Amino acid sequence: MSRPLLYLSYKQDMALLNTPAKRWWTLVLGLVAVALPFLLTDDLLVVLATACVASIGAIGLNIVTGYGGQVSLGHAFFLGLGAYTAAALSGDPDSTRLIGFGITSLPVWLLAAGLVAGLAGLIVAPLAARLRGLYLAVVTLGLVFIGEHIFKHWRELTGGVGVGRPAAVPELFGFQFAVDGELFTKAQKLYLLMLVLLVIFGVLARNLVRSRTGRALAAVRDRDLAAEVIGVDVTRYKMIAFAVSSFYAGVAGALLYVMIGFVEPGSFNLGMSVQYIAMVLIGGVATISGSVLGALFITLLPRVTRELPAVLPFISGSSAAGGITVFQVETILYGLLIIGFLIFEPRGLFGIWIRVRTYWKSWPFSH
Amino acid sequence: MSTVETSVRTATIASRVRDRARTTPHVIALREKDLGIWQQVSWEQYWDTAELAAHALIALGVEPGDRVAIHSENRREWLYTDVGTVAVRAATVGLYPTNPVAEVGYLLRHSGAKVLIAEDQEQVDKALAIEDLPDLKHIVYVDPRGIRHRYADPRLIAWTDFLAIGTGHRAADSDAVTRRMEESRPDDVVTLIYTSGTTGPPKGVMLTATNVDFAIQELVERGGFTAPPPSPRDSVLSYLPLCHVAERIFSGWFGAGAGVTVHFAESIETVATNLHEVQPTILFGVPRIWEKIAAGVQIRVESADPLKRMVNGYWLRRADWIGGVLAANGGRHTAASRAVYAIGWLFCYRALKDRIGLRKVRYAASGAAPIAPEVLRFFMGLGLPMHEVYGMTENTAVATANRPGRVKVGTVGEPHPGVELRIDESTGEILTRHPGTFAGYWQDPDATAKVIDADGWLHTGDVGEWADGTHVRITDRMKDIIITAGGKNVAPSEIENALKASPYIKEAIVIGDRRRFLTALIGIEPDTVGHWAQTHRLPYSTYGDLSAKPEVIALVQTVVDDVNARFATVEQVRSFRLLPKLLDHEDGELTATQKVKRSAVCTAFAGLVESMYAGGAR
Repeated sequence: MSRPLLYLSYKQDMALLNTPAKRWWTLVLGLVAVALPFLLTDDLLVVLATACVASIGAIGLNIVTGYGGQVSLGHAFFLGLGAYTAAALSGDPDSTRLIGFGITSLPVWLLAAGLVAGLAGLIVAPLAARLRGLYLAVVTLGLVFIGEHIFKHWRELTGGVGVGRPAAVPELFGFQFAVDGELFTKAQKLYLLMLVLLVIFGVLARNLVRSRTGRALAAVRDRDLAAEVIGVDVTRYKMIAFAVSSFYAGVAGALLYVMIGFVEPGSFNLGMSVQYIAMVLIGGVATISGSVLGALFITLLPRVTRELPAVLPFISGSSAAGGITVFQVETILYGLLIIGFLIFEPRGLFGIWIRVRTYWKSWPFSH
Repeated sequence: MSTVETSVRTATIASRVRDRARTTPHVIALREKDLGIWQQVSWEQYWDTAELAAHALIALGVEPGDRVAIHSENRREWLYTDVGTVAVRAATVGLYPTNPVAEVGYLLRHSGAKVLIAEDQEQVDKALAIEDLPDLKHIVYVDPRGIRHRYADPRLIAWTDFLAIGTGHRAADSDAVTRRMEESRPDDVVTLIYTSGTTGPPKGVMLTATNVDFAIQELVERGGFTAPPPSPRDSVLSYLPLCHVAERIFSGWFGAGAGVTVHFAESIETVATNLHEVQPTILFGVPRIWEKIAAGVQIRVESADPLKRMVNGYWLRRADWIGGVLAANGGRHTAASRAVYAIGWLFCYRALKDRIGLRKVRYAASGAAPIAPEVLRFFMGLGLPMHEVYGMTENTAVATANRPGRVKVGTVGEPHPGVELRIDESTGEILTRHPGTFAGYWQDPDATAKVIDADGWLHTGDVGEWADGTHVRITDRMKDIIITAGGKNVAPSEIENALKASPYIKEAIVIGDRRRFLTALIGIEPDTVGHWAQTHRLPYSTYGDLSAKPEVIALVQTVVDDVNARFATVEQVRSFRLLPKLLDHEDGELTATQKVKRSAVCTAFAGLVESMYAGGAR
């Protein structure tokens, strides 16, 4: 007879799917996610694939900001590092204009992108270990500006402003993802690839945060002094948080432009960092599934606002038509959503989900 | 089947545990929560530790017929000691963890226990505070916190050292325990169970190996309570004191006799949580526990948000109806009630039972004190197979039980097959006769002679009558029957239980012996009345303050009026007073089993009682 709450070992207590309900819902969710490519049009699948990649990046930011409590505005810099490492590695070696090594194997450039970004994170981390709050935010902001400058002017790597360069080529043991095949279209293949990668990196992150490291990070976040007193090596764990977070950013950066196939050096700016912070805040601070929800939400938002002109005539599709444009609406919505979530639902979308779950879980009582 | 071949002449709980260890060594026997994880003990480990305890007891000089006292909450060591003690042909004496020093002194001195197993510093302190204990040679403490390295009394031994003594003894003489067990005789006293003593000092009931064996055969192996009989697939939660015969049956003997897995609750406060985790299949409770769960459900549903309140309030009212149908049909569904229950199960009952930890319960029983039929019906309506059972320590708790499918609410059921039961024609007293009748009160032959007559009939002290010729209905304890000044016989427990069925009332003591009319002392339930006060924006500080509020008195008055409407005029409570404090074992107002000591309460609150009879007839 099943008694899900009768924990006979710590392993069982800490299991990811420790109740039958969780197991069933995860199965259903998995089946739906796998079935989607056959139900949706390709343009939507591309958006979803981008959301999967953004999720990986958001998980990375959540590890350092949500779990570790270290505010980082420099996420765009690490995303950029990853994107260019991957692009350069898989780039055409015969090109005269751009650096390229011709290594198109996905695991290789993906890992390399992560490692380069992670290494950069590790270099920055000692700064982070000394700083807190606003000061750390300003320092990481500096990173974005340095990065933006380098990306714009290192033409051999990035192709320069307004020109750019082709993104990494996704190929696994000779199998090409970025071209239409006989059975699957390009969008379907890419979506499934990104989905699998998201699951892998999501589970890895979930395992990290429920381990000793995760608990140490949370202790540092809640009060670094108290954490140090109970024996947590604060500097060490802050560095781990930065390194892991940057690794995730690197991986996400490498994949982010695979769908479009093109990287523009101007995109790794403060706006991108803010977008990721918005994902974390709206999704739910210090939750992995929240990061995914937030990334989905932010990535799908433009897609939804683009439908607005059809419904609300005073919103126009382009700036030429006058009035308020969808792009302005989008920006306003960002702001409103962040403010709204911070005030009304600080735990984000995940908090709403928890509230709904608790409501039904506590049936027939209130708590 | 769950019967185990017994290899010694007399089957004792020790031989039964040993046989289980041989036939099913790796099946789980016990589980106890430690640092958030339920630690498991297999039958092999269970017997191994119990045997070590037995060796240690021999090494400490425990001879056949000696007494070993256990003063502890329910935990593994309790059963290890119990089984080990029986193996060396000594008798176990259980002390209630709540026993105050004076009572501990009385029990240790009266039983003449040679070894005391004390749970922790609190219980060790109690034993050490008693001067004059000539027989007590050793005190074994289970939890060393606060004791080790700080206490110098030469009698103290840590549990681990106690087991080490056992290991040493086993290495030197590995057959010592086996030899002892082979010598065991049917008339060996295996346990002294001290009765709660609502009137005088506690009396030690001597139960022999035969008594216990009879009880196990009758109640466990032949399925005197449950149908089908308990098996290793069943599990129970051990939370009532093991010194009481009921819990000894449900967690000690159900385990040894049928291989039921025993889970120890962390404490009485965590029973709700532990029930939720363990989801036992067999659950025994005293009326107080059932009343508390029922009150908790009602209050928590009422305080839920509007949607939940509406839906579940509706299904609780339907449950009332289902309970009524079931009660009228001996516990069996009609087609209509089954259909209603099936829908309600989806919306409410399944989740509700899961939350309160009763979802897997296939057999629930109430005993040890009379329970209000409303409470039984409430649980039956929720789909809990609820049975009122009856027995007492003196007959090893073997007397009557409501059998699944033949339930008559308001009765204590039918006599078990191996039980002779009759009702005395002149006094109405219930008499029982069977091999489970106890051997006598420890060192008190006079008291023994009063309850066992020449023909071997046990006088239970309960007044009862036959209902439909098959079931027994109990009116009250003989000595509690009130004869009013008008000469009417009134059974107070019936009125008290009707009052206690209200979620707001915890204790009710009906008074009226040789008085003109009935009155009652009522103790409110602090949780529910406190919640009621909060929702009615009624500020209060203490229990006493809350009880003194006119609004609370008015609230209780409505309950009393409701109950009065159901009784004849002479049985109506004309006046009541609220008790200014919670009744307490420590203050001598309750027994260790939380039964009210009527006379003590009436003496302690004599002023309140007299105030109700002052000022002329109403």
